[in-house]
Amino acid sequence: MEFGTIEREIFIDASPDVVFDVVSEPEHVKQWWPDDARYSATPGSTGEITFGDRDAGGKVESLTVVESRPPQLFSFRWIHPADEVAQEGNSLLVTFELTASRGGTLLRFKETGFREMGWEAAVLEHRYQEHVSGWDFYLPRLAPYVARLEVRP
Amino acid sequence: MNATLVGKVDDDLWSAIGDPTRRRLLDLLLIDGKGTATSLGQQLPVTRQAVAKHLAVLDRVGLVRATPAGREKRYEIDDAQLARAVAQLASVGSVWDARLQRIKKIAEAIQRTQKN
Repeated sequence: MEFGTIEREIFIDASPDVVFDVVSEPEHVKQWWPDDARYSATPGSTGEITFGDRDAGGKVESLTVVESRPPQLFSFRWIHPADEVAQEGNSLLVTFELTASRGGTLLRFKETGFREMGWEAAVLEHRYQEHVSGWDFYLPRLAPYVARLEVRP
Repeated sequence: MNATLVGKVDDDLWSAIGDPTRRRLLDLLLIDGKGTATSLGQQLPVTRQAVAKHLAVLDRVGLVRATPAGREKRYEIDDAQLARAVAQLASVGSVWDARLQRIKKIAEAIQRTQKN
């Protein structure tokens, strides 16, 4: 019995190069996850992602890039204490694996570490859910972003 | 049951699972079907007394059920409560489902732009 891993697979009608940028580059990542992302997408680089307004009760979390092999694999650890090196037991490991498939990309997502982090991780996600209330928050932001991409020459 | 009470129950459930020795006990019980503090203690590098304490924590949150067995108690997994703990993790998964859908929309929008 393993209750420590979340795994998902999704087909995306875009090339692995495009998908890799979207899952790894801070300027894209903050369009689908935190409100702000500051890190360099290179292995070993540590930075932070912010949920909400940093100056108004927002939550800042550490993020350390583990592996970056464009356009096949991008992985990072997050929620470790800012003054600790990210490793098993103090963080969750998120891995994106990309495979070219049917003219698009098969994106495999995996998040592990819940066995070690247990309750803290659940609280964290719950807090984020409360904070952003899912699609109610994201949809209005997503539409203008996609529209902007589409009108670009 | 109000929201606060539900929250409290879940806190206890997660902190019960949050301990490595207790997770190991759950694993052993899943493999063996049942066990006592003595039989489980023999398979772990902790005392019988420590095992008994951990089992009491698991019992309190309903993850295991105890039946008398001589001078000891025999424990087994409560499937429904374990399923509930697993389901809570699944709710974390649903948050990621939404994020992955956004990744898909963004990447596909960029791809369309590049093709034009």
